[in-house]
Amino acid sequence: MKKTDFLVELEDILQREEPCREEDALEDYEEWDSLSKMAVMAYYDKNFNVKISLQDFQEIKTVNDLITLAGDKIE
Amino acid sequence: MISFQKEQIFIVTGASSGIGKATALLLNELGATVIAIARNTERLTQMKAGCKYPENTYIEVKDLAENIDALPDYVKSLKEKYGKFSGMAYCAGITDVTPVSFIDFEKLQHIFLTDYFAPILFTKGIADKRNNSGTGTSIVLISSMSGVYATKGMTAYCGAKAALINSAKCIAKEIANKGIRINTISPSDIETPMTMNDNIKTLLEQRIHLYPMGIGKAEDAANLTAFLLSEKSSWITAQNYILDCGSI
Repeated sequence: MKKTDFLVELEDILQREEPCREEDALEDYEEWDSLSKMAVMAYYDKNFNVKISLQDFQEIKTVNDLITLAGDKIE
Repeated sequence: MISFQKEQIFIVTGASSGIGKATALLLNELGATVIAIARNTERLTQMKAGCKYPENTYIEVKDLAENIDALPDYVKSLKEKYGKFSGMAYCAGITDVTPVSFIDFEKLQHIFLTDYFAPILFTKGIADKRNNSGTGTSIVLISSMSGVYATKGMTAYCGAKAALINSAKCIAKEIANKGIRINTISPSDIETPMTMNDNIKTLLEQRIHLYPMGIGKAEDAANLTAFLLSEKSSWITAQNYILDCGSI
């Protein structure tokens, strides 16, 4: 998946009305809560076959961190 | 006194007959803008003609059991056409009498598509904060007494309606922090075109003695729906209301 496509997908997962950018801090998003984390986990599992644990989110600070977590699934 | 503003836009599904029609007419009468969805253009047009303020009722012809996976996108397209929604009354549904000996996967799937999968995915679209007006938004799903009390011959229907009640409670917990409410109504025997088909009518006739105040009318369900959609019920969510005139 292209990075630009993922950013649009993330916007949808988080139900944001503003675009997501790589450098954005997730904590700055009002949508970033436990439910949206669960939605991200489900999305990664389904689309990238990547399992994220809730504990992983302690290390995930930015959109870019999320992209990194997908490995080569996001180019 | 319950009243709505014209700026409050509500989706009503199954709006061409029965509880959906009564709800669409009532919300319109109370001042709201109504997006009335059903399969039958002619009956929708008749309903609109019967509205107190027909200029505030908009008709959308759609079979909600088709292309179910795309229902959240359908809600989005309606939002782009009409604006953000203040809520929804999901009244579309089908009923069915099939003894378990004749149940097969196709039958179960058919009933669950219309009575469970479609309302849940439609709700997903309304609950998306990009499609609703935020705090104060209210969703009502019409379930059934059959979702609470089992009735013989209704394995598929009872299952789908019970699933709807419990899933709505789940959704209520997920969206409460956004100020959005969702409740279900479980009417017992209500006189509508759907329940007046021969099979159901026979069952109804056997139960008529349970209702000292008579069989319910679609308007009885519409009144409760309007209350649950209004700000008068702003502290009520995750509930299922049995509307049975004390018959059970």
